[in-house]
Amino acid sequence: MINGTVVDLSRIQFAATALYHFLFVPLTLGLSFLLAAMETVYVTTGRPIYKQMAVFWGKLFMINFALGVATGLTMEFQFGTNWSFYSSFVGDIFGAPLAIEGLMAFFMESTFVGLMVFGWQRLSKGQHLAVTWLVALASNLSALWILVANGFMQDPTGAAFDPVTMRMRLTSFQDLIFSPDAQSKFVHTSIAGYVTGAMFVAGVSAFYMLRKRHMDLAKRSFRIAVLFGVLATIGVVTLGDALGFVDAKAQPTKLAAMEALWHPEPAPMPFNLIAFPSQAQQRNLGAVRVPGVLSLLVTHSLDGTVADISTLEQEAQQKIENGIPAVQALKTLAHNPQDPAALAQFDAHQADLGYGFLVQRYAPHLSQVTPADIEAAAKDSIPPVAGVFWSFRIMVGLGLLMLAFFVLSTLYSLRNKIERKTWVLKVAVWMIPVPFLADEAGWLVAELGRQPWTVYGVLPTWMSASTHSVGYMAFSLIGFVALYSVFIVVEMYLMVRAIRIGPGEQGGSGGGQAQPRPTLAPRAVPAAPYGSKLEG
Amino acid sequence: MRSFLYFVLFLMIAVIVTVLAAILGDEGAWYFAWLIGTTMIVLVSAAGGAMMDAHEEQLAEQQRAEAGRRG
Amino acid sequence: MHTFAIAQVIWWLLLGVLLMGLAVMVGMDMGVGAILRYVGRTDAERRVALNIIGPHWDGNQVWFILGGGAIFAAFPLIYATAFSGFYVVMLLLLWTMIMRPIGFEYRSRMQQPAWRNVWDWALTVSGAVPMIVFGAAFGNLFRGVPFHFDWDMTSYYTGSFLGLLNPFAVMTGVLSLSLAAMMGSLTIMNGAEGAMHQRARGLAQVAGLVATVLFALGGLWVRALPGYELLSSPGAGVPQTPLQQTVGVGGSWLHNFGAHPVLWLLPLLGFAGIIGAVLSARAGRSHLGWWLGAGAWIGVIGTAGAALFPFMLPSSSDPSMSLTVWNSSSSKLTLLWMIGFAAVFVPLILWYTSWAFWVMRGKVTPEMVAGHDHAY
Repeated sequence: MINGTVVDLSRIQFAATALYHFLFVPLTLGLSFLLAAMETVYVTTGRPIYKQMAVFWGKLFMINFALGVATGLTMEFQFGTNWSFYSSFVGDIFGAPLAIEGLMAFFMESTFVGLMVFGWQRLSKGQHLAVTWLVALASNLSALWILVANGFMQDPTGAAFDPVTMRMRLTSFQDLIFSPDAQSKFVHTSIAGYVTGAMFVAGVSAFYMLRKRHMDLAKRSFRIAVLFGVLATIGVVTLGDALGFVDAKAQPTKLAAMEALWHPEPAPMPFNLIAFPSQAQQRNLGAVRVPGVLSLLVTHSLDGTVADISTLEQEAQQKIENGIPAVQALKTLAHNPQDPAALAQFDAHQADLGYGFLVQRYAPHLSQVTPADIEAAAKDSIPPVAGVFWSFRIMVGLGLLMLAFFVLSTLYSLRNKIERKTWVLKVAVWMIPVPFLADEAGWLVAELGRQPWTVYGVLPTWMSASTHSVGYMAFSLIGFVALYSVFIVVEMYLMVRAIRIGPGEQGGSGGGQAQPRPTLAPRAVPAAPYGSKLEG
Repeated sequence: MRSFLYFVLFLMIAVIVTVLAAILGDEGAWYFAWLIGTTMIVLVSAAGGAMMDAHEEQLAEQQRAEAGRRG
Repeated sequence: MHTFAIAQVIWWLLLGVLLMGLAVMVGMDMGVGAILRYVGRTDAERRVALNIIGPHWDGNQVWFILGGGAIFAAFPLIYATAFSGFYVVMLLLLWTMIMRPIGFEYRSRMQQPAWRNVWDWALTVSGAVPMIVFGAAFGNLFRGVPFHFDWDMTSYYTGSFLGLLNPFAVMTGVLSLSLAAMMGSLTIMNGAEGAMHQRARGLAQVAGLVATVLFALGGLWVRALPGYELLSSPGAGVPQTPLQQTVGVGGSWLHNFGAHPVLWLLPLLGFAGIIGAVLSARAGRSHLGWWLGAGAWIGVIGTAGAALFPFMLPSSSDPSMSLTVWNSSSSKLTLLWMIGFAAVFVPLILWYTSWAFWVMRGKVTPEMVAGHDHAY
């Protein structure tokens, strides 16, 4: 019925395109608010240096933004092209936030980003500032609706399966948007974007300070970025902890995998600082453990416990057995929607419908299901532990590293000593890739940890994919990888080039005429021509 | 007249924000925290930039004063 | 009538509005891309062309994204079945559309003629191909697409990529491209002066005449195609799956026009819009022409939609599994919430989009482009 290779290829393609898209999005989320901060200072103090900052960082913002938009196109349509069963199954719920994202956020972001770039000479200072703020707000609102949609995949609230249409149906819109997972995931992700933006600005500014170029711009940008970064990093760490708290309730298998917790343990539970999980043997091949910390982290108390993998597998077996009659009832209802016996059977078992689907992978005809099938499906209900465990540790480790960096550099920056601390500046340059890695690792924790489900506990991943041929999937995967590889090379080249050239003498407008001619600025803002003050 | 229109505009925004905050405070505490937190982060970092200018001006003034005394 | 049925019809209409917005706004940008190498002979001229739509292409492109999102939210079965069925076509569409944001943003960041030439070609291809694909997709709806469903609503597409390139679809594809080229030319006329203006003026007339002929030809051709007809179904406003209806093939796609003669105003609007736009271009009144061209799009898409209603995605291999407004929509609750959001935000979008166009109004000259730090 469904080809496993096609599902795997579809998953690889989705992960590749989503991870790629997510390289650009966090920087947009954070840099847009940093631009708003810089321009706010410009408008309130009237100092041209801040306009220059907003223009320069705005240019780097646009190089990044173009790829974010381009790769976002793929994401908007990939649910339909490659996950058609998923799309029809949950479209009633999942499609709505995506459409609202377009209506409320993306339109605003894209319309005003044009004005932000082209409108410096056509808008008053106040109007332009408002436009910049709207771009920042809209890009984060965009993330909000995407994460509301994603929140539904993690913790399906506000929906029920409708045996009449054979799809999920929205039951409460409020439950959907105020789902705890959606809320905490949004704040965590958005603020992770702030950290990314802050690290980027701090790193590039440090690069200039090390070379004693554009000092006025670099010092101020660095100051704003590290303050922004230190607050955001504190936020991202605490909110991440709170997200773990939410996940412990909604997705116990993800949490167990994050902690590589194979067997029950008494409270207070120790924390696996480092471990080498083996899925086949269902144990850790060696681990460094810190006593008591896991209970403290996840339940915020010493006597709390967390469900372990072996217990969760047993629970999954029971759910599978309970879910099988629900799927069987559905088969009858598909041909005869009014059959009262089938309706009653479905009602009694519908809570575990998803688990019934899960075992269909091993037993397409559920009347012939064996205990071995059920056991195999129950084992499947645990995500790949090593991947989730290590992604989580990489994310947290990098987050704490950035926290330390931002605290230190904020200290030096506030004391106006940062130009002399060249080692901090060197570290800052090397730290630029760190938040991007942490973002990607975070995506992996969230989405790898959700496996084997596309909608947690409701729809298994293996059922969700479109019924393409292997040839089609190989073609599209190769196409995406080739196209995206070219793009990232071009983007990195232009970004590095724009950074090396620096503010004021961009080759962007061609002919070396980077400076706006005063005659062309009808409502000229009282800005010194770019560069003249800096380079002198 | 212009001031009055601005007053009405800002009043309307204030009312919307208050209503939004009341709803969010109840149902979406996290969203509310995000609004407040983001605003705070932006303002603190902006203030940090402005502080640097103030500091540099102060330094420049001191130097000028010292130069003046010597001269 | 039931609220649900009304909500379904409202969303069908809203989807039409979004598709028209897509055709007008994205079509204009794509048209500029497609004719870029013709109207712009020198690098300076091409930069003028790109900067005319420079501040707006990104906002305009959201019509496309919103169209996708709205189909997903309001008609999830269409979103799932059509986009997975048209897989290779969708890849073609995505891969070319992905090049556009990058082309705009990166083209003028380097001086080398070779670099700019590559991106000019990318913008030309990514302007022409998606418009052909949009048009061809509409054309294929009239012929039906080979797909069917399993008991659990897993969809199977049994056609090939080449099957989608049948003569009728190619014709509708070229129709869509010619309308886009006409709108692109009118946009260039609005924003450029001198030789570019003149070239665009000529091209707008040629493209408009091609579009007129093809639209007329399409009408005649559709008469010869067998239409679909709902023989029995659970009805409008009743939750259902596509497995519960029977569809007959053999009637006429012009059935709705016979039943409601007022619908003939739509093709009339199409013809009047195109011809009016051609005459306006000839008279040099490009702003008027642009609005008439927008009216033409409304007429052309409206004609297609009215002919198909209530069908949205007819199946050629198993016509009874055709997707209609009634069997592929979301639930009542979702549709109502989405109507609420659309009612608030669509007017807001139109308002700030108009404001953005007003702020950036006026001609673009090579001097302005060279003097602007951020220009494309």
